[in-house]
Amino acid sequence: MAHSHKHDTPVETGPSSKLISLVAQFDDPHSLVAACDRAREAGYKKMDAYSPFPVHGIDDAIGIRRTRLPFFVLAVGLGACAFALLLQYYVNATDESPIFPGYKFFISGKPLFSLPANIPVTFEIIVLSSAFATFFGMWYLNGLPRFANPLHRLPMFRRVTNDKFFLVLEAEDEKFSESRSRQQLEEWGAKAIEECHEDLTDQKIPNGFRLAGIVFLFALLLPPALIYRVSGMTYRQPRLHVVPDMDWQDRYNTQTRGPNIGTPESPRYLFADGRAMQRPVSGTIARGDLTESDEYFRGYKTGTLPVSEGAGPSAQDQDGQDQDGMATGTTPEPEWVDGFPEEVVVNTDFLKRGKQRFEIYCVACHGYDGNGEGLVNQRAVALAAAGEAAWTAAKSLHDPAVKAQPIGRIFDTISNGRATMGPYKDQIPVKDRWAITAYVRALQATGIRTPQELAEANSATPEAGQ
Amino acid sequence: MAATVDFSLDNTHEDPSRRADLVLGGMTYGDITDNVAEIWEAGRPPKIWYVVFGTAVVLLSILGVCLLHLFFMGVGVWGNNNPVYWGFPIVNFVFWVGIGHAGTLISAILFLFRQNWRTSINRAAEAMTIFAVVCAGLFPGVHIGRLWVFYWLFPVPTEHLAMWPNFRSPLLWDVFAVGTYATVSLLFWYMGMVPDIATFRDRSKTKIQKFIYGLLSLGWTGSARNWHRYEMAYTILAALATPLVLSVHTIVSFDFAVSQLPGWHTTIFPPYFVAGAIFSGFAMVVTLLVPCRSLFKLERLITIRHLENMNKIIMATGLMVGTAYGIEFFIAWYGGVEYEKFAFINRAFGNYGISYWIMVTCNVFIPQLFWIRWFRTNLLAMVVISIFVNIGMWFERFVILMSLTRDFLPSSWGNFYPSLVDILMLIGSFGLFFTLFCLFCRYLPIIAISEVKNVSPQTLHHHGHDEHEHHVEHGTAH
Amino acid sequence: MHARRPGKITSPIVSLSTSYVKLVPLGLVIGAIGLGLAYFMSLPQGGLKRFSYSYLVTYCSLLSMSLGCLFFVTVQHLTRAGWSVTVRRIAEIFAMCLIPMFVLFLPILLPVLMQRDDVYQWVNAGWLAGDREMFREIKNAYLNPSWFGIRIVAYFVIWGMMAYSFFGKSLKQDKTADPTLSRTMQKSATWKMIIFAATLVFASFDMEMSLSPRWFSTMFPVYFFAGGVMSAMAAIILTAALLQRSGRVTDEITVEHYHDLAKLTFGFIFFWGYIAFSQFMLIWYANLPEETFWYRFRMGDSASPGWIFWSLLLLFGHLLIPFLAMMARTVRRNKTYLLFATIFILCMHWVDHFWIIMPQLNIEMGATDVLGGDPANNPLPFSWLIDVPCAIGMVGIYVALFSGIAADRPLVPLHDPRLEESLNYRNA
Repeated sequence: MAHSHKHDTPVETGPSSKLISLVAQFDDPHSLVAACDRAREAGYKKMDAYSPFPVHGIDDAIGIRRTRLPFFVLAVGLGACAFALLLQYYVNATDESPIFPGYKFFISGKPLFSLPANIPVTFEIIVLSSAFATFFGMWYLNGLPRFANPLHRLPMFRRVTNDKFFLVLEAEDEKFSESRSRQQLEEWGAKAIEECHEDLTDQKIPNGFRLAGIVFLFALLLPPALIYRVSGMTYRQPRLHVVPDMDWQDRYNTQTRGPNIGTPESPRYLFADGRAMQRPVSGTIARGDLTESDEYFRGYKTGTLPVSEGAGPSAQDQDGQDQDGMATGTTPEPEWVDGFPEEVVVNTDFLKRGKQRFEIYCVACHGYDGNGEGLVNQRAVALAAAGEAAWTAAKSLHDPAVKAQPIGRIFDTISNGRATMGPYKDQIPVKDRWAITAYVRALQATGIRTPQELAEANSATPEAGQ
Repeated sequence: MAATVDFSLDNTHEDPSRRADLVLGGMTYGDITDNVAEIWEAGRPPKIWYVVFGTAVVLLSILGVCLLHLFFMGVGVWGNNNPVYWGFPIVNFVFWVGIGHAGTLISAILFLFRQNWRTSINRAAEAMTIFAVVCAGLFPGVHIGRLWVFYWLFPVPTEHLAMWPNFRSPLLWDVFAVGTYATVSLLFWYMGMVPDIATFRDRSKTKIQKFIYGLLSLGWTGSARNWHRYEMAYTILAALATPLVLSVHTIVSFDFAVSQLPGWHTTIFPPYFVAGAIFSGFAMVVTLLVPCRSLFKLERLITIRHLENMNKIIMATGLMVGTAYGIEFFIAWYGGVEYEKFAFINRAFGNYGISYWIMVTCNVFIPQLFWIRWFRTNLLAMVVISIFVNIGMWFERFVILMSLTRDFLPSSWGNFYPSLVDILMLIGSFGLFFTLFCLFCRYLPIIAISEVKNVSPQTLHHHGHDEHEHHVEHGTAH
Repeated sequence: MHARRPGKITSPIVSLSTSYVKLVPLGLVIGAIGLGLAYFMSLPQGGLKRFSYSYLVTYCSLLSMSLGCLFFVTVQHLTRAGWSVTVRRIAEIFAMCLIPMFVLFLPILLPVLMQRDDVYQWVNAGWLAGDREMFREIKNAYLNPSWFGIRIVAYFVIWGMMAYSFFGKSLKQDKTADPTLSRTMQKSATWKMIIFAATLVFASFDMEMSLSPRWFSTMFPVYFFAGGVMSAMAAIILTAALLQRSGRVTDEITVEHYHDLAKLTFGFIFFWGYIAFSQFMLIWYANLPEETFWYRFRMGDSASPGWIFWSLLLLFGHLLIPFLAMMARTVRRNKTYLLFATIFILCMHWVDHFWIIMPQLNIEMGATDVLGGDPANNPLPFSWLIDVPCAIGMVGIYVALFSGIAADRPLVPLHDPRLEESLNYRNA
């Protein structure tokens, strides 16, 4: 930095300061190499050549030994390889550790420590570390950055980054003598020769810089200190709310007192009971919540619900199951509708909708054909056979018992579930449940009857692989 | 015939017994320095620079507004939705990363293969790489939704979370690959530039310039010992960057290829993506350098031969990409897997078939014009073709992504529609790219001055001189 | 600065001179003995099928190596390379071996044309019984003996013409010293490269991938290519080193050329590793049964546990060990080290093809037949008395081919316009 401030005033290097080197200028790389050769032959050891670009053959001419940089990089690279593999092992394949435990979790069926999947990151870490080692190692070996260099004070030397070539003989060299060396340089074809003197200017970094540097270094300690302070602390507040969504709203909660519109001494509230929110008038139903029609919403004829149950068919499931998980015949059932309710118009579009919904919600167990051979069912049956799970096989929709069921009963099965099948009424809107029911009926009408028949029909299915 | 050609003015002439000059017009070392430094020393840049820079800044502000909008509203402002959860952001990401491959390819792979012509174009290409990677990193960066916990991407030890990233996921590999690539490219670019920044330092006129360029040049003197270690470090970095270039786009291709969707799994993806990346990267270099060359009067340094070579590489990589398209189709047929077959037929003739044909036209057919010499050497023609290539490469990633609209479950088929924010962000990313590139052109050396000097006829001429002497000796001996 | 050498050949001997008269019969005799022994030994263990597989392993190793050399020649012209001029002739001769190698493929091709399924199981139409209609149609459309034969002939015609055109023009230049021949070769290298790529892709599918006709991988041609070029570089180094040991071309091929070729070998070792890993990785990760079975068998599936050793041998022997060895500058610049290293690499190239081809034999014949006993006692599915003599015999024949083609022709281009550049070439 020093040079950049006082570049224009080379006068400060007066003759009184110590001579440290002789700087000889050449016009082309070839005369530089030739001069270097001559200097080496003359026995000079402490010298260096300076050029705007790397000159071919100069290494031999001034006797530069091969740098050890590659070995350093190789060592760092191998270390990084070990580090990366250990890191991934520790992070994904262990979970017991006193501090910062690893995190074992299974993903896409891969082993916890799966070498093929760990190669890419390992490779990247090797390259990154080696690149850093190369970059910083090179500057370190070169003794850079060095901002105060007496050579930069010579105006002539500024062309070293442009079009001139320099040979510098250092005064420390045994063979060096000012007059003789100068004469030699002239012999070797130097176009100009200048003396480079010790830099006597104040090389100390200005106090302001020093203070700023110290403050900056201390400031650097702050983030790790803060992280250390907060690590392991428990917070009751959410960490940061950049996007507030609807977390904070100006409103009153349902069971709270309303705003006081009077004075603090004689409070008055908007409503007589003081509540912020009033309860609905008795006998009202919110828009869209009216489920009056039993045919449409529950699938049975109005008024046929057995009184003893009271809570509707859904309660039947929990109470009325025997050990097989099947609804027992003894439980009284309502009278199911055996046709579509008037709210529903069965046409092609409706069936298509039913097919689409069926393929989203039902095929996983019942299969595309409704034969009960869905992938989940196949897997669960296999697990159940191995004693690893309890499972009631999914029904084939072509089963005569299912085909005999009234439409309302099928609708009820979809809504409330049966055996291991869960209720879908919370996921599928009423109309879509009817659409599925219609599609189930359509499937049943296709003629494929049993899984066995289907297997025979598909007997040509090939095995994958060999 | 050869005798009528002045080799110091025209280097497109092909003569096996003679290497073409890479610097024309008999430029001396000083001329080369002046030619490059003039761009920076000029009081004010050319008017067109202001126009491009202004436009780029406007686009950049659009990007900024979009980012703020995204930040406060969440990723729902994009068109990403069931079934295409990876919409424009990943297309843009892969597009920009691909473009970012040319720089390192030119500076590392062509360096290892000792292609001297790379010296005139490598600095600008490396800068382009960095800026393209910045644009690329933007998209997955903002895609995470909750930006303020971005550090969860990295293996940071935390007690309260007790969780670590999943190292078996390609998306995490991406974090490491793109992060490493950006870092190494930056080191490579900066290290290569230090001697040239030192040139600027030594030509600085104001104190501020002297301070900044003095600081950035680290006190470089051009000592032979420094050069020796510098060249060794450059070679090592090149040797590291070469497999890195391969690995980055390989890992990007893994994002697509390890997915279990039919037609998404094809083992050729890694080399095919790398070839595609080089292809698009070179196209972008041509798009940028041809105007730069005219604007900053660099015709003697970036010669027609340089441009012709780049166009040849575009043609070659275009053919590689075309071959990969062909192999994919052949295997989709030969493999006999219906799903795979369907995925490919759908790719060409399905609901997004038009993008497939745009891709094939731009990537395979149009670059074939480079077989004709006129197209390889005509400035306007090559810029137009290179822009087509870039369009085609954007569509290539889009086409692969659109396989998602037709997956295994017909029930989950759907279509993808980009939102306005998607489109504005794509356009805005060009603003970011060109803003950075304009600043680079103005304030940093856009040509590797020291490297060009090393391969200029003035340096190489000496050999010819020697050779002459030998001939003379032999002549007298016989 | 070093004085520049003029573009003149200075070695006392630049051809095989009269040695080829001895080398050709010697190679053929070794070939006859090796192949005869291998055939005799395989009679009790599966007969022609066992022998053909062993034959195919070495054949594919040598074929991909020759194709690698053809690629090398083409790419040198394509990039107007100067450094490689003095080693290019060796590659040209290796590439020329592709012409007689068609004859060597006949023992595989003729049984296919005669509808024998000794090697390729798809020849027997019954292999698809029970498959889906669509699958059968596709496979039969591509994999049938006559169409296979047509393709093989086409590949060899194209390769032969390419190799002959480069070799012939290069020899012509030795006589006429006409630099325009170089230009012609450079120009034609462009479209030749495209044709080369296309034929190589399908040749790799046909010769090796179709051994397991259900398996497919779009990466396979690149894998085949990467190994081929790696072995080609090693073969050029080895040949150059052996020629120089016997006092030929001593001045023209310098340590700088070895250094560069070794760097290319190093590069292609890594490239092979990259391609092999990417192919494995994608199949392993996606875990699709129609692809994984190929790797599962080679990773020591219960049917034949020994294959895991071959897989590990490839990982260490084909990738890690040579990668670390060739990283050292000392090795790359030392002819003795290089001699050992390249022989090792070429052996590993053979192991690579063994690993691709042999498991199919294992699958078809059952483990015991191939191993000659209980797999548990013989972990490596490999026979010293069949595979090794067969490999040595084939190499013998190949040496005879090389010597026959080289004959008394010069082993370096005498008047290439870039000869001087190559002679004075120095690594930075």
